[in-house]
Amino acid sequence: MTSSPRRSGAEAGPAVAVRGLTKVFPVPFHRQSIVAVKDLSLRIEPGEVYGLLGPNGSGKSTTLKIILGLVSPTRGRTEIFGRDSRLVESREAVGFLPENPYFYKYLTGNETLRFFGHLSGLRGVALKNRINELLDLVGLSRARNRRLGTYSKGMLQRIGLAQALIHDPRLVVLDEPTAGVDPAGSRDIRDLILDLKRRGITVLLSSHLLAQAQEICDRVGILADGVLVREGHLQELIAIENQTELIITDASDELIREIESAVSRSKAKLIERRKSTTTLERLFLEATKNDKRMTKSE
Amino acid sequence: MQTRYRPFSLWRIRAITANTLTELTRLKVFYVLLVFALVLIGSSIFMAQFSFQQEFQILKDISLGAISLFTSLLAIVATARLLPQDIEDRTLYTILAKPVPRFEYVLGRITGVLLLLAISTLVMAAAFVLVLYLREQAVVHTTLRQMSGAPPDQMADALRVVRSSAFNINIFPGITVIYLKACLLAALTLFVSTFATSNIFTIVVMAFIYFIGHLQATAREYWLQEHSGGVITRVFLAIVTLLFPDLQAFNLVDDIVAGTAISLAVFAKTAVLGLFYTTIYTLLATFVFYGKEL
Repeated sequence: MTSSPRRSGAEAGPAVAVRGLTKVFPVPFHRQSIVAVKDLSLRIEPGEVYGLLGPNGSGKSTTLKIILGLVSPTRGRTEIFGRDSRLVESREAVGFLPENPYFYKYLTGNETLRFFGHLSGLRGVALKNRINELLDLVGLSRARNRRLGTYSKGMLQRIGLAQALIHDPRLVVLDEPTAGVDPAGSRDIRDLILDLKRRGITVLLSSHLLAQAQEICDRVGILADGVLVREGHLQELIAIENQTELIITDASDELIREIESAVSRSKAKLIERRKSTTTLERLFLEATKNDKRMTKSE
Repeated sequence: MQTRYRPFSLWRIRAITANTLTELTRLKVFYVLLVFALVLIGSSIFMAQFSFQQEFQILKDISLGAISLFTSLLAIVATARLLPQDIEDRTLYTILAKPVPRFEYVLGRITGVLLLLAISTLVMAAAFVLVLYLREQAVVHTTLRQMSGAPPDQMADALRVVRSSAFNINIFPGITVIYLKACLLAALTLFVSTFATSNIFTIVVMAFIYFIGHLQATAREYWLQEHSGGVITRVFLAIVTLLFPDLQAFNLVDDIVAGTAISLAVFAKTAVLGLFYTTIYTLLATFVFYGKEL
């Protein structure tokens, strides 16, 4: 996998443009209908990782489906790199991983990528090389000849990501990419997304796992009941303007007392003093890594 | 790596067709062929007690009836699951999120089913012809043994009777018509599955259509006897004929068993009717699928 930023956001215009998007689903035999998305507008620049966040039923998946041309909008317009997303050719530039994908259980990993490669217009040596490259990237080279029916959830998600990347798209759309995946698998997918970002590929992902979105997204939009209630750069959105954190290593008790005393002499107020902690995810990954080492050495 | 988008690609259709064929064969739908072979072998052993004319007639009747029934069943059951399963597993999203027009997906799917039906029909027809040939040879040997002292003219006449009782030229057009009926049913099942909510619903609807389709010609004749053939009646009957194809028109088994000649005109008319229905239902399926919200 080459890691050079092949596309560093030099394209003119946005990767995704959504303007005044509304989607209403009629309910059969009822006068009322369901408004899944209401007057949504957003713009995703090339090369950025954009997180569409929101609780279940907030309209995230519907928005992604409209962007991909799988569902038609009731009102409004969506574009991918300037092309109307209802046009099939707009999908040339897109790779998509749906939530909890199953794929064809009777195909092997290799056959799955070959099938999606053919659909994307690839063939011959170019396709073969691309399959090898992607199986390496997602760490499934050794499982390439196993049927997907025998794959774990994390492996399915990784082969799903590989099929999304088969034609080297400029935009990758991921619907809940880590849903149901264990922390180690989740970390692998996170690293893959960060690798895509390094290569200048635009990533649009939907998630309700906020901690993970915080780690990888440049910008986020928060949907609630189909309405975009917040949007912006992540650091700007989560920063608390009048608060500052200091993380100090190897500080003596005397130094801490001095800092506290300086704070009390000023107009500022010390809100909390606590020992730094690791995250539960990091603790889990380190513990399971040690277990794996012990099992191997036995 | 970027490839130029083509609005129509036989390569993409071929990929979907090949995948459909793999899916259906790996799902062991072909096991019905084993059942067919057992029915065939079982019936030929059972018929040893009849005269050879009766034996060949019953063998043809059972075998062609079984080919017709199994290809029809295969067409309905194999096709009914394709679209709902792809939606349920979200594989359809990943396919249509690639630069694949919806009509290519429908075309690839139906072509895969039609290929499966062609292979199944060929395998069953080959098994049928083989059993018929083996039984014919057994009867020829018995006749030669029994008539060893008879004059050559008499023996030649007897052998001609045996051979004409076993094979007649109608068998192959008859099998082709059975295949076309299965194609029609597959295309109609695909059309129903584009708006059905589950594959069970599709199968139930198709079971109704199958039975009504076999009765509609009789019902139509009765209706025309009772009512005048005005414009409204004709439009109404045209709609009924479109919704419920005249499946009895594809039933040439009785003629083949009886040894009645199927004229070229009847064969051509039936074949054109089968191709017409298959095309119309595939187009309707594509039309409904284009507007479907996934």
